[in-house]
Amino acid sequence: MDPITAMYVTQGVHGLAYGMVLFLVASGLTLIFGMMGVLNIAHAAFFMLSAYFAYQITVSTGSFWLALLLGPIATGILGMLVERFLLRKIHTLGHVAELIVTTGVMFVIMGAVKFIWGTEFLYVSPPPVLNWSANVGGMVYPVYRLFVMVLTAWILALMALVIFKTRLGMVVRAAVSNAAMVNALGINVPRLFMFVFGAGSFLAGIAGVTIAPVLSVFPGLADQMGMDAFIVVVVGGFGSLGGAFLAAMSIGLLSSFGVQFLSQLAPLLTFAFMAIVLTIKPTGFFGERE
Amino acid sequence: MMRNRKVKWVLWGAVLSLLTFYPKLVGPYFTNVFVHFAIFALYAVSFNLLLGYTGLFSFGHAMYFGTGGFATALALVHIKGCPLVMALFMGFLASVILALVLCPIVSRVSGTAFAMLHLAFSMLIYTLALKLRKITNGEDGVSGFPIPALHIPGVVSFDMRDSTNFYYFAVVVIGLSVWTLWFLTKTPFGQILVSIRDNAKRVAYMGFKVPQTKAVIYAISAGFAGIAGAVLALFQDVITPDHALGPGTSFQVILITMVGGVGSFLGPIWGSAIFTVLQEFTSRYIKEVELLMGAILILVMLYFPKGFAGVWALIERKVFGESPSKRVAEGGRSSQ
Repeated sequence: MDPITAMYVTQGVHGLAYGMVLFLVASGLTLIFGMMGVLNIAHAAFFMLSAYFAYQITVSTGSFWLALLLGPIATGILGMLVERFLLRKIHTLGHVAELIVTTGVMFVIMGAVKFIWGTEFLYVSPPPVLNWSANVGGMVYPVYRLFVMVLTAWILALMALVIFKTRLGMVVRAAVSNAAMVNALGINVPRLFMFVFGAGSFLAGIAGVTIAPVLSVFPGLADQMGMDAFIVVVVGGFGSLGGAFLAAMSIGLLSSFGVQFLSQLAPLLTFAFMAIVLTIKPTGFFGERE
Repeated sequence: MMRNRKVKWVLWGAVLSLLTFYPKLVGPYFTNVFVHFAIFALYAVSFNLLLGYTGLFSFGHAMYFGTGGFATALALVHIKGCPLVMALFMGFLASVILALVLCPIVSRVSGTAFAMLHLAFSMLIYTLALKLRKITNGEDGVSGFPIPALHIPGVVSFDMRDSTNFYYFAVVVIGLSVWTLWFLTKTPFGQILVSIRDNAKRVAYMGFKVPQTKAVIYAISAGFAGIAGAVLALFQDVITPDHALGPGTSFQVILITMVGGVGSFLGPIWGSAIFTVLQEFTSRYIKEVELLMGAILILVMLYFPKGFAGVWALIERKVFGESPSKRVAEGGRSSQ
């Protein structure tokens, strides 16, 4: 393969991998917004917290796989607690109040993380089984990244199956389009909210653990990913999973090729993309409401 | 009624004389703390004109704050002998122009789309400011520009590098700005804003032009945020993208307004005071400022959802035994 094609393929794969992880984070965010109208600012903080869990568990037990199991469960439970004891109490006060409370939760998590682990960069090494590089057609690619892509693809497939093919998924989709009506039909919507919030945090947790060996673990992790995930949700249209997927892939590819061709102005691309999409269609790709 | 009016005059007199003698009483350090508070109070009041009065929730108000600051700083760098008032006016003008450019796009929408468009545009401008190193010096920002003296021809000239002189200048500029905005909310135009927030469709039926009205208040709000940013630039002699344009600054004004009380004119001023005091004390005694801020935000929302202004209204009612009916109805949530 000639170098130019190889470069395109490598950047493309990079972009898709980032897009996948981005979608993993954004899917929870978009479901939570679609159902509850809550713009969960703390979502990226859960993601970052889970990366720290990954670090702590791998350092203490030496097993990355245990971290992959326990990290997301811990963040999921934390998410459920936040919904149950904070958000549920102020749900009647409107969206701005929820925004402030989730911001407060984000600050608390950030502060706690800095208090416990400090602000320096921490490194998590990938499990030894995956810590090598594959040589495909003259291209060297780290296997761990391929693993991340395969894992997220499996999770996404599983999630799509649950949401589009099961009764539970049907209830969730119905609650996204009209929560009051679903409540009136005898389904315990507040409890459903709690579980969706927990599931969203769980997905952010998986993303956090899997990304820890790729990037390093530091408090700023939440800023970059949080902003990008937020943009994915907005551009895809609030509450739309398909839109979020399309947006995540576009932004993944855009930032990966942007770094290649306009290294200086790459960060501008994402925001310009968002501004253009919203100017033309204020509801995002597939959103039905503002 | 008479007694109330008298109390009010006494209060105003007390506030004015306190403001006059404040620098003498507390020394330069707390004088500067007060100027910082006043800058963010004006910034928050201009933000609340959109959120509390018109129901427009902006996620990127820092772009106007920062644009004002950068315009003033750049004017002082590039224009030789640029007078102080002109530099200030440049900040105002730059923000108004930016607002007029974005108006056609943002005045069509409301609710979440309005907030998100602001996030996008403010982040665009923030990234531009970071990347256009030749103009803004990137992360370091513009600094070390000359601060001109306030020169009244033939009368007197004040050196603005002196903290007491700058305090009086800032208090007058910010005081006049806040008073102008307060006056604006009392005019019929101000009443239309509130009715747009509460029911935009009906206002349109009554024959008022909703998008145009929104555009006007939007430009005004942007301009005064620009003045706040300009005073910040003059005050610190440095303006950086992170401090003035970044997402943190956009967020800060939302928090200040919410904690102070949205929809009440004085709310954001209380909010700015609360945050200034908190920062002053926490950064001195505690290292985990973020942790404390987060906890405070959660507690305020759980127990005082109307912010400090809500608590204050309660006290006022108890003390004066009269319902503050002239206050604009609280609430002011962005309409969905």
